[in-house]
Amino acid sequence: MFKPRIRALSLAVALTSLSFGVFAQDSKPIVIGVPVGLSGANSVVAPSVVQSAQLAVEEINAAGGILGRKVQLEVADDASGAVGAQKAFDSLIFQKKVDVLISMETSAARNAGLPAVAKGKTPYIYTSFYEGRSCSPYMYVNAWVPEQQVPPIVDYFMKEKSAKTIFLIGSDYAFGRGMLAFTKQYAESKGVKVVGEEYLPMDGSDWTAVISKLKAAKPDAIITSTAGGAPNVTLTKQLRAAGVNLPYGNLAVDEGTAKSMGTDAEGIYISASYVTGIDSPANKKFLAAMTKKFGADLKTPNDLSVPQYEAVYAYKAAVEQVKSTDSAKVLPALAAVKVDGPRGAIVMNKQHHSPLTMYLAQVQADGSVKVISTFNDVDPGQQCPALK
Amino acid sequence: MNLIFDILTTTAILYIVAAGLLLVFGVMKIINFAHGAFLTIGAYASLIASQLGLTPVAGFLFALLVGGLFGLMVERLVLRPLYERPLDAILATWGLAIVIGQVITLLFGREVQFVPSPIRGTIVLLGAEYSGYRLLLTLVALGLGLTLALLLTRTRIGLVTRAVILNEQLAQGLGIHSQLVRFFTFALGAAIASLAGALITPLSSVDPNMGVPWLINAFMLVMVSGVSMLSLLFATLIFGAAQVLISSYVSPILGGMAIAVLAAITLRIRPKGFSRD
Amino acid sequence: MIDGDLIRKQLLRSALPVLLLVLCAPWFLDTYTTNILVRALFFAMLALTVDVLWGYTGYLTFGQSAFFGVGAYAAALVFTHLGFGPGYVILGVLLAMLAALLIGAVTGWLSFYHGSTPLYASVVSLVLPIVLTQVLFSGGTFTGSSSGLTGYGMPDLSVEDWFRLVGCLLVVLTTVVWLFVRSDGGRILFAIRDNEMRCSYLGINISVYKIALLIVTGIVAALAGFGYASFSGVVAPELAGFVFGTEVIIWVALGGRGTVIGPVLGAIVIDWSSAYLSGNLPYIWKLFLGIAFVLVIVLLPQGLLPAVFKGFRRFLPANTSSRALQLIQAEPKPVELEPQSLAVELKNVSKNFGSLKVLSDINFSASAGELVSLIGPNGAGKTTLMRCMSDGEERASGLVCIQGHEIKRIAPHQCVQLGLGRKFQTATVFDSLTVGECLRIARTRIDPPSFWRRSAQLSLPPYVLEVLTATELDQKLDVVTSSLSHGEKQALELAMVLALEPRVVLLDEPTAGLSMPERSLIGKIFIDLTSRFGLCLLLVEHDLDFVREISTRIVVLHQGRLVLEGTVAEVVDSELIKTIYSGSVGHA
Repeated sequence: MFKPRIRALSLAVALTSLSFGVFAQDSKPIVIGVPVGLSGANSVVAPSVVQSAQLAVEEINAAGGILGRKVQLEVADDASGAVGAQKAFDSLIFQKKVDVLISMETSAARNAGLPAVAKGKTPYIYTSFYEGRSCSPYMYVNAWVPEQQVPPIVDYFMKEKSAKTIFLIGSDYAFGRGMLAFTKQYAESKGVKVVGEEYLPMDGSDWTAVISKLKAAKPDAIITSTAGGAPNVTLTKQLRAAGVNLPYGNLAVDEGTAKSMGTDAEGIYISASYVTGIDSPANKKFLAAMTKKFGADLKTPNDLSVPQYEAVYAYKAAVEQVKSTDSAKVLPALAAVKVDGPRGAIVMNKQHHSPLTMYLAQVQADGSVKVISTFNDVDPGQQCPALK
Repeated sequence: MNLIFDILTTTAILYIVAAGLLLVFGVMKIINFAHGAFLTIGAYASLIASQLGLTPVAGFLFALLVGGLFGLMVERLVLRPLYERPLDAILATWGLAIVIGQVITLLFGREVQFVPSPIRGTIVLLGAEYSGYRLLLTLVALGLGLTLALLLTRTRIGLVTRAVILNEQLAQGLGIHSQLVRFFTFALGAAIASLAGALITPLSSVDPNMGVPWLINAFMLVMVSGVSMLSLLFATLIFGAAQVLISSYVSPILGGMAIAVLAAITLRIRPKGFSRD
Repeated sequence: MIDGDLIRKQLLRSALPVLLLVLCAPWFLDTYTTNILVRALFFAMLALTVDVLWGYTGYLTFGQSAFFGVGAYAAALVFTHLGFGPGYVILGVLLAMLAALLIGAVTGWLSFYHGSTPLYASVVSLVLPIVLTQVLFSGGTFTGSSSGLTGYGMPDLSVEDWFRLVGCLLVVLTTVVWLFVRSDGGRILFAIRDNEMRCSYLGINISVYKIALLIVTGIVAALAGFGYASFSGVVAPELAGFVFGTEVIIWVALGGRGTVIGPVLGAIVIDWSSAYLSGNLPYIWKLFLGIAFVLVIVLLPQGLLPAVFKGFRRFLPANTSSRALQLIQAEPKPVELEPQSLAVELKNVSKNFGSLKVLSDINFSASAGELVSLIGPNGAGKTTLMRCMSDGEERASGLVCIQGHEIKRIAPHQCVQLGLGRKFQTATVFDSLTVGECLRIARTRIDPPSFWRRSAQLSLPPYVLEVLTATELDQKLDVVTSSLSHGEKQALELAMVLALEPRVVLLDEPTAGLSMPERSLIGKIFIDLTSRFGLCLLLVEHDLDFVREISTRIVVLHQGRLVLEGTVAEVVDSELIKTIYSGSVGHA
């Protein structure tokens, strides 16, 4: 009499334990390492980057994870600098043994972390715009490089503001110098003269001498490229306090930082691959999800944080395509997968970099950003000829 | 003209920052390496004030009060055992600065934050358009210097304090409670440092480590000034001008270390620095 | 040699097991931990240099990180801009050492000049890393500015091999430092920390010593930085900075300053813990460190390790070993007695403090074999006169000759080298050293000590031995000076001064605080020194009975002038003396 029940019961138990076993094997989470500047120059933007990553992970896990496995975030502080980055990368790659690194960092931090990435053979998706030409077989970039971002601003100043001379200000490190070197070269090729080029160390906050030099040079426009975050704010504050109201193109500011500058940011021209005003279903869906998840704590999604969101999905797509988290398999796949995110369709297929749609915009008095013109599918140029 | 304003305002800012440290060094002969931390405390006090919607002036007063209270606590708990060990006092106050920095990070987070400026934009003065807030700070520095000078020379407390500065043992022998003088002087020095922190944040930003570069410069200025507020004025003017000139004409990076290097060289040539005795 | 055996035994007991541990450890540790530890080992080397400078010599330095940074950047710059290979490694090492030497020499010259204060030296040590970081920031793409340098060629060693290599180097370095600080020469560090003035007056050129020490430790720190850069592959200006310099001090303070092992363990444990804990509990860990640091400085200045590991003293290298020190007699150096040369000669010497004339126009001389007593009421200028005779900077004008040589403006240690010895009014000895060690340091000028060995014998001239036997100090050679009685300290100082084999000895109130028997003993010794050994003694004294008993000549000083001079008989009963002392004859 009990026999069929016992048989059913034991079968159920067997099946359950079997599936547990299978599930147990697959339930080791996929760990995404996020080294980011929680302290230091980038600390103003880092929270938005972390939020983007958190939303992406939450959405993916709700939909069943990647290959049935849960996704987990491991955030580490790189102090926005070289020494901190080395510690953070070492810890994430060798101690926490992450499957992939996805993050936005200063160029100083990125350069310091690349040796560890190479040693650990870990895929690394770099989600920050930067000065270009940083190449590693393990690194992919889904944000813009100068070839995509600078021409719109310089062209606009030349045509619409009749600027014949410009003054350049930057933070003294790879990004600041790289961006302004490109800017100078591009401007001069178009007949615009650079009448000054001044730098402060990344953590510097006293721009008094630089501003005095600026005033003395009497340029038609300013273009700046400081480390994202604090230096942007201090420079802008001090420029406005000194009464400088020239056409001001900021190559390194994102919408969120611009908002925190308050009225000082009014009039700044930015050239970005993301603005919150992008009128697409994907962007609206993204913004709604962010607002729902974070509510009042939401940090404005911006050109430094949205690529982070898309990069997590790019990794998901790559892993699902090759059905494995094995580095050697995932890396080639990253060059082929397409992500349809808030910034449109993005593939990292140009020498590990991505063609992007760029927007020239101006910050308004209320902190919002108004798009002036749009440039579709801008090519990143020859970033890493050695990596086809 | 712009350059002259740069020099004057830089001098003023350095003076405000260093005044508290000088007071403490003069009376207690101890270098307070937590001075930068008090600066940071004042900055965060003004941050709280601005987030609570208080007026800037209320914010400054709040910073003054908070700094003074912290100064009282620190003097009682940390400095008293170290009167005889000046080098160890430097280390202990540095350790204290680390502790304060970490507590601030725990409470406020480690990211950089901002305080809006009380005066926005420029003022046209003597033919040049210059930052209004910086010019205001020059007035504040003058006011602070005058207040301290009057306090020291025209009041009884000031007289007592000067006695302790010149010869503590003799003052004790005359019945002056030098312990109390030290106690309150340190609190005043901390309060001024805190006020300085609140005053400089509108110019740049607030973060847990903002005090360190100011500490170094203030320290070197105090070393060169001895115990005299007047010498401090000279020192800040001369070295502040040097910093501005080198930053403007050579490089801002070299300008940043001008004060430290010039002070070290001055002390080598004339160990008393700018003070007259 | 007894000392050699002791060293060998200590090394076998401590160094060898550690060496074995270093070689075997990589098998038990995972790669990440080994990685962290290799960096910590480099930092431990740096901590050792700070311990030698601060813990032992008393020089609070924030600047050792600058040397570390110099070495690191030397490696990074050579490997980035020139290339990587054995030749480049050697080039880099030489550059690092040269840079450290130059920087150390300049910093030392700036910090340790005659008359500088410990505070000023610390100030300079603080400015050094600031200047260096700014220089690095201004280097643009050459030094990488804020980004630093990375991605340069590096030695192809596995992490485990790096660990073994660096670990062994650290053990060797620790051993060398230990040998140095316990050696006779190393005791000079303690002497400088305890009492710089006494060192000067023993003929030791403190400035040169400190500068040399700074250069050597600077080179070691730079080499550690070089190794660090070669291992880690990333250099940034923070490595040369002030904040890092203060972190090293924290490791040394918590580990135990002035113990060789303490800072090494402190650096390793704290750095390793930081790597793990600052990831999980970032703020709490640093807060805890800060609090621990403040508590240690205020309450436990010697550091945590000495307090905690008292029980394991067997395994720590012994800093003071109680072995019997043997005293042997040395023949004093022969002296050519030039017939007409005076031991001491003063011509028109004057000194004023502002408008107050302390000494006016002093003309005075003394020869070998004389025992001259300088008397006069308080404020007459007696001690000032002694100062003018022993320090070339003191007098405002006039001529001072010692043994026929003009002293012009030379420093005290150079006056000592002319044959002068000076005993101070308050016992100026080395409180943390033993009696034997004090004497050994006193012999430095004549019998230079070894910098790695501890001698079991100490040779002293016969009159010093007499002083020691008479005061029974020869039974207390292993007693720490701070626990001696006042009279014993005075006797020790006298013995130390005499150990210099001076020809002229200045004694400032040698009988102050001595009992009657001690006084007559000292008096006999003084007479002996002048009559038997031909020294010239100048005493400042208030005890007129004592003066009357032993002096060959008396000189009277009053309000900065030399008012009376003559034999005991002539002076003591004169009317002038009575007027000057206004009836307080016999004791002032």
